[in-house]
Amino acid sequence: MGQRQQLQTILVDILGSNNVYFQPPPSIQLNYPCIIYKRDDESNQFANNKRYAHKKKYLVTVIDSNPDSLIPDKVADLPLCAFDRFYTANNLNHDVYNLFF
Amino acid sequence: MAILTWDQSGQRYYETGVDRGVLYIPNGSGVYDDGVAWNGLVSVTETPSGAESNAQYADNIKYLNLLSAEDFGATLEAFTYPDEFNQFDGAVISSPGVIVGQQARKSFGLSYRTRIGNDVDGDSHGYKLHLIYGASASPSERAYQTINDSPEAITFSWEITTVPVAVTGLRPTSIITIDSTKVSPADLTALEDFLYGTAGTDPSLPTPDFVLTLFSGSQTVVTPTTPTFVPATGVITIPSVTGVRYRRADTNAVVTGTVTIGVAGATLVITAEPVDGTYVFAPLSDDDWSFTRNP
Repeated sequence: MGQRQQLQTILVDILGSNNVYFQPPPSIQLNYPCIIYKRDDESNQFANNKRYAHKKKYLVTVIDSNPDSLIPDKVADLPLCAFDRFYTANNLNHDVYNLFF
Repeated sequence: MAILTWDQSGQRYYETGVDRGVLYIPNGSGVYDDGVAWNGLVSVTETPSGAESNAQYADNIKYLNLLSAEDFGATLEAFTYPDEFNQFDGAVISSPGVIVGQQARKSFGLSYRTRIGNDVDGDSHGYKLHLIYGASASPSERAYQTINDSPEAITFSWEITTVPVAVTGLRPTSIITIDSTKVSPADLTALEDFLYGTAGTDPSLPTPDFVLTLFSGSQTVVTPTTPTFVPATGVITIPSVTGVRYRRADTNAVVTGTVTIGVAGATLVITAEPVDGTYVFAPLSDDDWSFTRNP
């Protein structure tokens, strides 16, 4: 299983459903609550004149109509995860996290 | 008379990078006859010191400057270190996976490669091999930190001090640097075969004398081949190797072809030597062999 698939599994476990979308196209019908995540950046460390270790950075957005949802906290508890911002749109709460995985 | 020019195309040199770190482990005789790759090498900072001027005055004037002895040190930084380095970092592995600290420290050898670049070839114009002798590592801080929201591996760092080793005709030294753009490619390959090992030989750090001889262009490195032996018949077949002469130790006679041990149970020692001063044996190469015929 690739690293991205491992992250998918973890997020599905956190959400408790399969509404976890990786870089969904605009045409897809989202079911809420859901988690949307996408590749954002990469952290590299160098040794011996080449990349020695790296981690991919994902932008993870938890979307839930419940403002007291516990799902964002579970995402925030993941290692190497940091809260980025919160906003509401269309009466849905969006919690955005930066996650290295 | 030539007119000076600056920064011509192809002459805008610079140095960058560090890789191919090798830790050399001395045997009981102080010969660096084994080497291991140093993974995760981040930086090596060479810090020579000494050569400080000490002004002397006479006749009411500054009469001369006396310079103090030079010393060589370095700081090595890496994400990790080979297990074999523990013994040089004051640690003893009492059993696999069990490391006891604050033990005696040993000295070691080190080599690493840095790149030479220019405006035409980029970073691949050439490289320098740095050979460090008589090195000792000092204890250093290891700052372990919690995993946070930013992935970052800790780097280990060691202060390295050196004790210079003897060099024939020169002052003792702790560092030799080889510039690939200025030496013979064949000689460089020969040195790298020692430094990094080959299919049949372990990596090793040749002595400064050997390195200087290798690049002097006056001598060719050869490795004597082991004679083959049939214990049942006592027949020793002497190989033919350019630059190598074989002798039997009992009579010191030069031998070629085959030599037979006539008496059952008898032993004969065959030795090898360079045929003349234009050849030199590779470090750590075997040059004598004992053969015993079956009783």
